[in-house]
Amino acid sequence: MARHRGRGVATIEYPTGMNQNGDPSQAWVKLKPDGRVDVFAGTVDIGQGSKTVHTQIVADTLGVPYDWVTMDNTNTDSSPVCTGTFASRGTFIGGNAVRYAAERARERILDIAGKELEIDPSDLEVADGDVVVKGSPDRKLSVGDVAAAATWTYGELITGTGAALKPFAEVDDDTGAVTEEPHAAISYAACVADVEVDDETGEVTVLRLVQVYDVGRAINPTLVEGQIEGGALMGLGLGLLEASYPYYPSPEHRGGEFGAYLAPSMDDLPELDNVILENPSADGPFGAKAIGEMANNAQPPAICSAIFDAVGIWVTECPATPERVLRALQARAEPRREGKRVIFDEEISLRRVASKEGVAKLIDGG
Amino acid sequence: MKAVGARLPRYDGLAHVTGRTTYVDDVRVPRTLWTKALRSPHHSARIASLDTSRAEQHPGVRAVVTHEDVPKNVYGHLEALGVPGDEPLLAEGEVRYRGQPIAAVAAEDEATAREALELIEVEFEEREPLFDIRKAFDPGAPTVHEWGPAFPHFGPHDHRRVRKGDVDAAFERADTIVEGVYRPGAIEHVPLEPQVALVVPEADGRLTIYSCTQAMYFSMGVVAQHLQLPLNRLKFVGGTVGGGFGGKVDTASETIAALLAVKAGRPVKWRWTREEEFLASSTRAPWHIELADAVTKDGWILGRRTLTLHDAGAYTRFSSYGLTKHAFHHSGAYTIPNVHFDGYVLYSNRVPTTAMRGFGVTSVSYAVELHMTRIAEVLGIDPFELRLRNANRIGDTTPNLVVLKDPSTVPVMLAAAERVGIELAPEYRAMTSEPRSGELLPEHLAGAVSRTNGKEAG
Repeated sequence: MARHRGRGVATIEYPTGMNQNGDPSQAWVKLKPDGRVDVFAGTVDIGQGSKTVHTQIVADTLGVPYDWVTMDNTNTDSSPVCTGTFASRGTFIGGNAVRYAAERARERILDIAGKELEIDPSDLEVADGDVVVKGSPDRKLSVGDVAAAATWTYGELITGTGAALKPFAEVDDDTGAVTEEPHAAISYAACVADVEVDDETGEVTVLRLVQVYDVGRAINPTLVEGQIEGGALMGLGLGLLEASYPYYPSPEHRGGEFGAYLAPSMDDLPELDNVILENPSADGPFGAKAIGEMANNAQPPAICSAIFDAVGIWVTECPATPERVLRALQARAEPRREGKRVIFDEEISLRRVASKEGVAKLIDGG
Repeated sequence: MKAVGARLPRYDGLAHVTGRTTYVDDVRVPRTLWTKALRSPHHSARIASLDTSRAEQHPGVRAVVTHEDVPKNVYGHLEALGVPGDEPLLAEGEVRYRGQPIAAVAAEDEATAREALELIEVEFEEREPLFDIRKAFDPGAPTVHEWGPAFPHFGPHDHRRVRKGDVDAAFERADTIVEGVYRPGAIEHVPLEPQVALVVPEADGRLTIYSCTQAMYFSMGVVAQHLQLPLNRLKFVGGTVGGGFGGKVDTASETIAALLAVKAGRPVKWRWTREEEFLASSTRAPWHIELADAVTKDGWILGRRTLTLHDAGAYTRFSSYGLTKHAFHHSGAYTIPNVHFDGYVLYSNRVPTTAMRGFGVTSVSYAVELHMTRIAEVLGIDPFELRLRNANRIGDTTPNLVVLKDPSTVPVMLAAAERVGIELAPEYRAMTSEPRSGELLPEHLAGAVSRTNGKEAG
């Protein structure tokens, strides 16, 4: 009886935005008379920090300080359409919507400033809350003064709207082929899991996760790390702990309370080593791609690969509970070899479980 | 100072951890009624009779709703994509999963609402349920769904297909064929905030809906459809969620609370119990994935055959969407020139499954990556080197013929190897994502690489 250490790796990719597209996000930006900025968008912040990220995108797109920008995503009366916070679309698609709206508002700031300074707007830029004449940094006007002039002198509202939408990608139902990209971008990640397996209890402990994510551009590295670390814990739950149906497909023994369902807790958190790579996307705000959902996809296969490395068994039904690990250790199943075929997991395969008719329908297309 | 790239704190973080955030359940409106739902105790049953008259007369009860009260009872999450609806808001004639809502009561307090549920008279005729989707097409298997065992709306097919290259030739040519079965299971979303909604009928006739949805406009559309109201009659208030992870893309509580609010003419709150959140709310789907890969002895993957069975539970919700996404990503971070994929959405008598972080792809990443480790083991090749060899590159095409513009499988793997101190052979260390050519473009991959190397893509 002993503890065995093992290492496993997994490499994954994940699309940004709804599969096949067709998922709009829209935004509206307006300036108050002192230059402070209101952003209206319907993007729900589910805890990942999209409201902070969108505020950062608007601040830099307009060229004003971050704390000048207030975002209101509280209701459907004042905010235009956002398809929703899912499909890892918040930073990219919601972020593009607020970026486009801010770009339009910036054009209006330059128009009004051009009148005030009697300079062509194309010779102006906005930085740190000031409209500055290109090449003459001393000639400037604060965005607050521009907004005041718009309000009190010119009778105008400085505003901008934006909408991000990639058209729906049709799929050929015979081949699965698409004629255009069915996503906004693709992000990539690698995860190395170091585990310890107790061959007496079947318990698997994750000691360390090294995770590398290409997110295009980290708009907010702290929030990206939050996604990586939160995702790691969810992935650990998927890989080792959580089961709605512990004896799937049986519906029995469902857990109806926290004490009967093993969600991961901080006690389960292994040593984490996060690496962020920035390989900018062509179309995302400031080169960003998504990080949201993919952050729990790489750990389960990396952990199950590490279990094999540690004790030489394959657990291919997730989660790898102590019971499953012990049963696999007892069985020590070897793949069946038939000609050049190496066949694993036959006992749980469709051919073994379904009737002849069921197999004929699902495998042989009958 | 630039905001982009700065480590700015989350605007709401401090309020969340000090208890100052206002969640839906924190909103208090005078004269609010409280809701409880009668849920199916059976996995599968015919409803022979349903009588709510005693509950309606119970003191303190202000409204009871059944399917008869819903202007459009059956609606589907994917109707906008042309998939017909299949899920009733409130069960009509039959129940297909344990926990399915049949009726709901609004009363002066939760205890009274609970008492009223006891007074609703339902006669069930239990039926044999189906739980093992592998047996969905067996003769005599129980029928779960009106559409039959499988979702039938993938164009002319009852399954999602991907076909690329010549799989038979790849399997013929392979030195080894590695076959495995992968079954990632269902899990719960486990939000700290269970499903909750507060619906307030305003003096101007509109409904204000305080919602924990992850998607205000999507959920507003769902409520508008079931209640057959134009969007200007509804105002969703939300944007702050106490944990979603995909489960709050389902519009689980808003619509029934709205029906009750309209019928009672009073504000109505429906706050699910923790037990309901665990047992009656949707789960991540369980999957059954069979992979067979045709490989060469030096570690090239020539082809892949895939059969995926997606256990949708009792209704479709987003299942066909998730399966299509799964199909599009079933070669993982690698370039496989010949693939043959069949995926089925199959129904079972369990709670409907729905979106959850990584929807559709979490399952196939699990299967593919564990399978890659197995191939490496069978061939006696280092698992990093096997993956790097087959890693996708600029200009490669995916199973559904997307030309990749900016893959970074190679850089993330090299960075991971370096971080853990793995010494890769020089030829692997020198790899980049640059387009394949010369020795990096073996003959079997020639057809899988775009001649434009991605320059026309996008």
